[in-house]
Order: sequence, then structure tokens, then C-alpha cells
Amino acid sequence: MVKKAQMQIQQMSFMLIAVFIFFALVGMFFLRVQVGGIKGSAAQLQKEQAISSLQVIADMPELNFDCKESMTLDKDKLLIMSGDFGQDYDLFWPVASVEVFKAYPAFDSQIECPAPNCNYYNVYNNSQLNSKKFATFVSICSKERESGSVYTRCNIGKLVVGIINNE
Amino acid sequence: MNKKAQQEIVGFVLIVVVVMVGLMIYLTMSLRSSPENEGSLEVANALDALMKQTTECAVVYVPNYDTFEDLFKSAYKGESCTNLNKPAREYLEEASREVLTDMMASESSVMAYELQFAEKNSEGAIQGLLMFTEGNCTGNVNSAMRTLSSGSERLLITLKTCTF
Repeated sequence: MVKKAQMQIQQMSFMLIAVFIFFALVGMFFLRVQVGGIKGSAAQLQKEQAISSLQVIADMPELNFDCKESMTLDKDKLLIMSGDFGQDYDLFWPVASVEVFKAYPAFDSQIECPAPNCNYYNVYNNSQLNSKKFATFVSICSKERESGSVYTRCNIGKLVVGIINNE
Repeated sequence: MNKKAQQEIVGFVLIVVVVMVGLMIYLTMSLRSSPENEGSLEVANALDALMKQTTECAVVYVPNYDTFEDLFKSAYKGESCTNLNKPAREYLEEASREVLTDMMASESSVMAYELQFAEKNSEGAIQGLLMFTEGNCTGNVNSAMRTLSSGSERLLITLKTCTF
């Protein structure tokens, strides 16, 4: 009789352990799904924050077109800054690198400016290898002359900024 | 004894079934409602850059070229690109497809994209004027919208991208 009761208690405890493990597994699965979602949102938020900080670089008078249009870079300023003149600004940039390339029309080979038909402006680079890069679309504008008239021509470009990594 | 064990097994199976059904309902709901990130800064910047892009279409005279923003309005009004001998709407369709293809080629995480051009009348009804999609979307959707005014009508330009 005692043995039977012991057997039943054992059976009950095994059952309880099995149910507990089962619910623990289900709970862990739920948590994993929820944490995955939170991590994704955090990464997206961090990316959006980094992109919004790129606006500060794009709107600096050293690069901005006409000093009034946001996210619009001046092609002539880019040409100057990516040449020898840009070296004088080494201590000015609060970032690891500033690069701009033309996104439209697309290109097969990268030609660094200043050069004819160039498509890549290396404005600044502190040679930090492990900097984290963020990019966003911008407009690259310039004043052009055609048929005796001056007009503004804008093309789509991409601003790539490397964030200084202090680790 | 045998009957009691059977009852216990049935009870356990019942618990498992209830939990499984709950899990399946949760999974279906969470997979179905992958929310669209409206007003994404990344896509908004892409759309702004597209709107400022100078096209080859001059409606009045050369070199008074339309930007895409102007071209959307010209296409809506039914104007023509005089220098190209082409209706603005036809050129808009060609050019926007070409520009977006090049833009998205530089975005490795974008698997699909969609551009919508619609008119919203004074009663609030939305009528699609142009839409094209490239690729198949199985990831997260980010979108941005810009509103242009043409007379009393409002034109809605929406860009959606689908990323991994």
C-alpha cells in the first residue's frame, strides 16, 4: 500500500516536472520572439538616428548647395574638398570619413574626383579601419550653362559617413 | 489504475493541444502584422533626392528642365516634353523606372521597391495615376510619402522599399 502511494507520488512529481519543462520551453520561445522584435526595432532606431545625424554633415556650409537646401551638396565644393584643399580640414570633421558618390547614373568603375567624368568624392578619411559607416541619399547640385542660360542641375548621390570608433 | 492513467494522459494531451493552438494563433498574428514603417527617414531621403533630380524633359524651353517634382505635375496636367517630342507622362514612367533601378542597385539590403503616383481630389478620394513595382517583398516594408499641389488637386508620391 505504501509502495503504491510512493509510486503515485513519483508519477505525480514526474508529471509536474514534465509540465513545468514544457511551459518553460513555451515561455522561452515567446521571449525569444519578443526580444528578437525589440532588437530589430532598436537596430532600426539606431540606424535612423545615425542617418539623421548625416544631415548635420550634409548641411554644413562647406558642402551645402546655396546654404539653404537641406541634404543638397554642392558639386563644386565637393570637387574642391576632395582635392588638396580638403587636407586643411583634417581637424575640422567630427567623423572618421566623409565620402560621396553618384548614385545616378550608376557606374561600373569608380573614378575618384577631381578627374574627368569622376563619380566618387573622397572628402575626408582619417584612415580608421574599424569605423562604422552609414549612408543616405542626397542631391549633388551645380550651376550649369546651356544655350546661353544658367540653370541648376541636380543628380542623385550617396553620402557615406564613417563614425569614429573609440573602442 | 489503468483508467486513471488514461485520464491523466488525456489531460496532458489536452494541455498540449490548448498550448499548441494558442501558439499557432500568436504566430499567425505576429507574422501577419509585420508593421509598415511609414515615414522612414532612409526612404524619405531617397524620395527627396529623386524629387530634386533634374530630368531631360523641358516643357517650355531648353534648358528649363523639369525636376522629377515638376515632371509629376507636368504629367498630371498632360503636358509634353517639347525637346523630346514625348508626353511628360510617358517620359516620367521611363525615367522614374530608370533612376530608381540605379538608386536601388546601390542599396544591397533592398529586395523590392514600389513607386506610387496618385491624385487625391477635394473629396478625399485617391485615384492611382502611375505605379510600378520591382522584386518580391518578403521582408520589412519602409515607406515615405510626399504631397505636391497642382491647382486645387493634391498629388501623392509614395516610395516603398522592402529590406531583408
